[in-house]
Parts: sequence; structure tokens; C-alpha cells
Amino acid sequence: MRKGKNKYGRQKAFKMSASNNVAGGAPRVSNFPNRNSQRSTLLKVVILGDGGVGKSCLMNRFVSNHFDEHSFHTIGVEFLNKDIEINGEAYTLQIWDTAGQERFKTLRTPFYRGSDICLLTYAVDDRTSFQNLALWRTEFLYYADVQEGSTFPFIVIGNKVDVPESEKQISTEEAKAWCLENGNSPLVETSAKDATNVEAAFGAAVAAWARLEARLERPIVEDTVDLSKQQSPHRTSCCMPASTAESNKVI
Amino acid sequence: MFEPTEQGKDISIHSGVVLRGANTREDDVHSTGTLSIVEYTFGKCLEWKPTEVSVVSESQDQDPEWSLVNTHTRTRTVSEGTDSLGRSRTVRILLCDLKSFRINRSGQQLTLMLKDGTNYVVYFQLFNADSFVSSLKGFLKFIKSRKDRNMYIVMEAEDSVLEKSFAELDLFQENASDYVWKFVKNLHDRPYETTMEACSKLTDILLHKEPTRPVEEAVADLLNRSLTLDIPQPTILNVAGEEYEVIGEPGVSVVLPPRPPCPRGAPLTQEQWERCKDTDGRITNSEALKEMIFRGGISPTLRYEVWKYLLNYYPWEATNAERIELKNKKTEEYFAMKLQWKTMTPEQETRFSDFRDRKSLIEKDVNRTDRTHPYYHGDNNDHLVQLYDILMTYVMYNFDLGYVQGMSDLLSPILCLMDSEVEAFWCFVGFMNKVSTNFEMDQEGMKLQLSQLHSLVVLTDPQLAQYLDRHESGNMFFCFRWLLVLFKREFNANDILMLWEILWTDLPCKNFLLLVCVAVLDTEKNVLMENRYGFTEILKHINDLSLRIELPWTLSKAEGIYHQLMAVAGLLPDHIRVIIGLEPQLKTAIIDSEEENATAEPQLDVNDSRPSHSTGSGNVIFGNNEVSFERGINLSYM
Repeated sequence: MRKGKNKYGRQKAFKMSASNNVAGGAPRVSNFPNRNSQRSTLLKVVILGDGGVGKSCLMNRFVSNHFDEHSFHTIGVEFLNKDIEINGEAYTLQIWDTAGQERFKTLRTPFYRGSDICLLTYAVDDRTSFQNLALWRTEFLYYADVQEGSTFPFIVIGNKVDVPESEKQISTEEAKAWCLENGNSPLVETSAKDATNVEAAFGAAVAAWARLEARLERPIVEDTVDLSKQQSPHRTSCCMPASTAESNKVI
Repeated sequence: MFEPTEQGKDISIHSGVVLRGANTREDDVHSTGTLSIVEYTFGKCLEWKPTEVSVVSESQDQDPEWSLVNTHTRTRTVSEGTDSLGRSRTVRILLCDLKSFRINRSGQQLTLMLKDGTNYVVYFQLFNADSFVSSLKGFLKFIKSRKDRNMYIVMEAEDSVLEKSFAELDLFQENASDYVWKFVKNLHDRPYETTMEACSKLTDILLHKEPTRPVEEAVADLLNRSLTLDIPQPTILNVAGEEYEVIGEPGVSVVLPPRPPCPRGAPLTQEQWERCKDTDGRITNSEALKEMIFRGGISPTLRYEVWKYLLNYYPWEATNAERIELKNKKTEEYFAMKLQWKTMTPEQETRFSDFRDRKSLIEKDVNRTDRTHPYYHGDNNDHLVQLYDILMTYVMYNFDLGYVQGMSDLLSPILCLMDSEVEAFWCFVGFMNKVSTNFEMDQEGMKLQLSQLHSLVVLTDPQLAQYLDRHESGNMFFCFRWLLVLFKREFNANDILMLWEILWTDLPCKNFLLLVCVAVLDTEKNVLMENRYGFTEILKHINDLSLRIELPWTLSKAEGIYHQLMAVAGLLPDHIRVIIGLEPQLKTAIIDSEEENATAEPQLDVNDSRPSHSTGSGNVIFGNNEVSFERGINLSYM
């Protein structure tokens, strides 16, 4: 078993077709399930981040395509399921959303166990939430019992890109730099409010998971460039901002 | 939900239907729409779409019964797409995701329950749910629940086969689990462990239990650890067993009498209130008042006045003059504390991270507290500033506690009612004094309540308790939100005021809130068990109950449970007695298997709450000769 993979197995073994392994291509997200052909793969997704960055809003936008500016802050734990099809594969995402305050940490962290994907979320108009990404990442790795963080599919999400430029505190470049230093996770800037990139974010997350999973199931023959763990080619692709792979090289 | 790219084929349409899901806000309740069965290549769906007014009238001209429009492709215009807030309002449910449905008492409502625990409630305005159910027959195979005649369980393909083979065997007159229970009842003379081992396996086979879900088990396991009380609770005796333990919790054996009906009363009126005041304005008969408030709540116009007493802002015995004096003093005190944070300079803040963090969280939470309520609606609303100021001042009033998420929920209805910053603050302080342990750092208050709730369920409904334990839910975490903010998120703005004022009377007993929880669980028991919900589905189902719990009914039931407990008060084990505020009897609980058959006769007179004679020890007595057992129950959090 690979390091970093959760040890609980899945409802259906995942099989990758060769065409899915093309690095850099945005995943084809299709928004209806194909239940007739086969059972979908169940993936547990955890959304983390400071209070008020829009975790619940991202989840609700993605699952029910609805946005409520004045929705309540989350108390306890909530989750929603969503069926999607990516690159011809059917998935059921079980998305978990928790209360962000430190006080409720002990009641939040048990839900990290068995996660397949983690979305680290900050708001582009909230520097503190960006600074806390590292804490969230560490907390997740510790409690999810993931042995090796570098091979776990983290996606970094900068939410609220709809705010006026003057209110933005975190530039795309700064966020990309952080991602590069922290496991080279893909970065997606979103707006749950105007639905920008929300689907793309979840699509990128599943695609990142699938690439890791594929690498595990087949020997390393294809990954000829893979000399170091940090710079493995399967990591450099991402959907939004589209040029992550290239800019990583520039930085 | 999802957006199909293809055009579906309507098989059956009906109009005049209101649908509410967990994400539906109160203001959406009134939008009417059509509910159809639509066929797509990926499967058949139930599809609800909001209707334009014109469409509604148009369809009202048609036959209001379900019309079968086979092979007729949809041409009508319905409001596709999104509403003013950018919400796509079509709801689509794959029939293969449907687990069960339930028709409510009047037949006008139908609750759809999905496999993942999601609920939708359908309100039929033009006809009743039965005709919808009959139209479903062509597309789904379902059977009537044996425990709840209004509930229907959708059969999976494999279920149907199994059901059929059972029917052919003609083995079971009742359903499989009842059969097992009977089997267990009749076994007296065999050692527990063997019996239970065998029965449990049999149960698993007969109920064709889903394969174990390791992720859920791991999560629940960790959660149990998080919820384990650091302070040891009174020892609970149990018969040690490797994997199975006889529930040795003393008192499990207590047989409760039937639940008496407890009708609700009328709200406290201005006239009744005035009668309780003496000439100087003292409230002379506060106990009688509390009784009335418990029975029926308070008239809306009177709340403003009475809440100040219930929340200990005004003492009951204060005269008019004393209250004026008190008000002046408290007003001064409030503004002194407010000044403390108002005068904090930005430079000071940079060196005061605790303060900064709290301030930032309050800012965020105030903007997402009850914003759909007219009082807090709209941008630049002054009431939001007051909400913020009160919470900030409370941070100065109780810096050790500070601000914890959930507090804004508790303050919001108080401010709305008082419409005065100072009075709302002091009433909030009174409320927080009652529930501050919910918010403490170590969460001990929450853990204690969850474990007490579990104990109450074990006593009042061992079958449900066993089900929850076996489905990784014995830690009762799914009730966390109920307890943290005292059902604030579960009831609408009016109901919550009544529930809270009833709870503040501390009648009929301590921790009545927990009995309210037991009452709701009692109502949901069949749905949880018949749907065979596991850990995640139970959590989802309970979360989705929000705004769908009937308050008067629940209160009556909770009070009924209280009377059931009091009827056997003398038999109740101390840990239960303590929960409902009775003195512990300090009897040594001994499990003595020789006394097994010495069944205590509980008093059935519900009006008599005097302690009755008990057999003197917490025997493992199985009421009605029932045997309770459970698998590896983690008693550490009980």
C-alpha cells in the first residue's frame, strides 16, 4: 500500500484509462451521473479553513448550485453528497464541512479519518486565513493519519475572488508560491458567490486524486522524469489558474 | 443534485406541489411547483420545478389528478434556471437514491428519504399524497413498514428477491427483527454469551446488514475518544464480556408505565401577569407563573417584560423603584465595559492576539446570524452593529470564555425581542449563565450532556439505544447542534422563543432539554431504524430535521416521558435520578444474577411521583422478559 493513501479501501477499485494520464489537460467534468453502467467511486472530501472563508458556501454552490450570502455559520459537522463524472468515470463525492473555531477541534478532527481529498481554503481578502493554511494542513495530516503528506491530494482554494481588486490581500502569485513550497498542491481561485471555478476546483481535486491513484496502481515505468518526490510530473498539472504548471517553473 | 445535459421525458406530472429540502430557506416554503417523474438515459428521476404563477393557474384548469403523459415530451415553460439569488431551484432526485418515504398524518405531506440520509418534504396543495404514491407504483417497488403504517420502504432489486423467498418460506409472520426479538425472549435457560453470539449473527444475516464501513467506524471511534468525559462519571456496573456485554447499567431493567398525555396550555396573558404583581410591582407568585409559562409559553407582547425575570436580569421580588435603580446601575456598568474595548487602539490590538481573534470571528459571525429575519435583514443594518457591540462587550464581561461560535445564535432572538442594547446584553448574560458550560474550552459540558442523553435513551428506549450503539452513534454526536445552541437552528423564529422560555422555567425538572431531545428521537426512531441508517445517514437525517420539528407535539411528548420517569422514580438508578434533579439514593448497585427473576413491579400511577419501593439493588431485570444485549459497547462515554 502506498504511503499517504488512506487504509480503508474504497467501494470500487479505481481503474484509469491511459488517456486520463495526460498531464496538464483540464479534466472533463460532466455533471450528471451515469448510474446504469457501473457503481461510482466514493471519495471522501474534507473542506478546511478559517471561519468565514466560505467553506459551506463552496459546498452548497457545488452541490446544489445555490448561494446564500447570509447563510449561517456551521455548527458541528455537516456533509453533502454529489455525483459527478470526470473523464468518463463516475464518482460520488461525500463532502464534509466543519466548524472552524479552535474550541471545536476535538469534535472536528475525527472526521478527517479516511479522507481521500482535502481542500485547504482561504479567502483572498483575508490574510490571516491564508497564513493559517499551514496550520490547517498540519492538523489535517496529523489527524487524518496520512503517513506521507507529499503524496496526499491537497487542493488549495482561494475563495471570494469576486471582491474588488482593492480588497484583495493575497495575490495569485503569492498563493502559488505557497503551494509550491507546500507539496506543490494545485491552486484554484474561486468565487462561491458568482460560481467562478467552483466546479473546476472539485474537478481538479478529483483529477489530482485520480493521478495519484493511477501512479500507485502502475509501476513507475511511465514516470521517467520522476527523480524527486516533490517534483513528480503528476503534480504539476492543474486546471485553474490554467498556467500553474508553467508558473511553477518560473518561480 | 445535478444538471443533466439531455432532455428528459416526462412520464407523470403533477402541479400545486411545494417542496422543501434541507437547503431550503423558510421564505422558499411558499413557492409552488410541479413534481414529475422524468426519464433520462441515466435513470428515472423525481423532478420538482418551481412554477410561474401563470403556469399554476393553467394547470389548475386541468384535471388535478396525476395525469399520465407517457411519451409526451415537455413543452411547457417552467421557470428553469436560477432565482434572484442565483440559486438553481430545480430539485432532481434519482429514483434509485430513494430509500423510503412517509405520508404524514393529514395526508397532505410526504417526506422523501434518500439513501444518504437527505430528506425532502413535499406538500401537496391540490390533492393528497396517496395519489402520488400510487403513481409511483409503476416505477418503484416498495412495501409498507410494519412499525409505522404511514411509511413505505423502497425495495432494492436484491431486497425484493429476499423478501419473496421469505414469503415463500412462510417463516415469519412479522419482519425479521421482530422474529429475532421473540427468539431472544424465549430463551431463558441458556448462557447469555452463547445466545447473544448466535442471535447477533442471526440478526446480521436476517437483516442482511450492509458490509461494515471501516471509515465510519474509525471516525466514530475517534469521536468517542473526543467525547469521553475527563471527569470520571459514577461507575456503571456491567458484566464483563469480551465482545458482548449484558447491559448492566442499573435501571435498564426499569419498566416504564405507558406515557400519559400531556396537553399544552394557553400562553401567559397580560391579565394573568398583572394579577401576580403587588402594589409596589413585586411579582408575588413566581412559581405559579413559571407553571403557566411551562404549560403554554408567554403571549408575544408580554415576552419583552417577562424574559427579564426569567433571565435573572430583574429579581422577581424587586419593586418598581428597585427595578429602575437596577436598570440605571446596569446601564452604567454596560457602557463602562463597552468603553473598554471601544478605546482599544489599533496599536494595542497588534499586541493582543486573543482579543484580535475574537473580534475578527465576531465580525464574521454577526454577518451570518439570522440574516433572513426581518430584524437583521439588509446591509448596513443597525441591529447588526448592536449584535456586534453586545458580543464584544460580553468578551470584556467574561474574557475567560470570550466569544465562541453559537453565542451569536443565542443572542440574536433576545436582541430582536428587547430591541435595546443594554437590556439585551444583560438578558444574554443571564442566558449564558445557564448554558456557559456548553462553550467552555474543554467541552466538558457538551460531553456530559451527550452522555446523559445516551443514558436517558438507554433507559427510555433500549431498542433505539441498542440500534444507535450498533451503528456507531452511541456517542450521540448527531445531537451536538441541538444541545450547543438549544435547538436554535432547528426551530423557526417564533417556536424558538417559546421553547426557550419554557426551558428557562426549569420545569418540570432539571435538564428538561434532554427530555426534549429524547422526545424528538422517539419520533424519528422508526425512520432511523427502518431505513437502517448508519453513522453518516443518522447525522444527515438529524441535521435535515431543521425547521421540521413540531414543537407542541414534541413538548407534550417530552413531558410525558418525564411523568413516565417520575412514576418509577424510586427504581431509577442514581445516574438517571441526578440528570432529572432528584437526590441520589446512594444505594450500592450490585448485579446479582440470582435475583434475576425478581422483577420489580413499577408503580403505574403516573400522578404519584413518590419514590416507590425498589428491590434494593440494580438487578439485571429484563422487563417483559426481554433481554438486552449489545456488541462491545463503549461504556466509557456513557
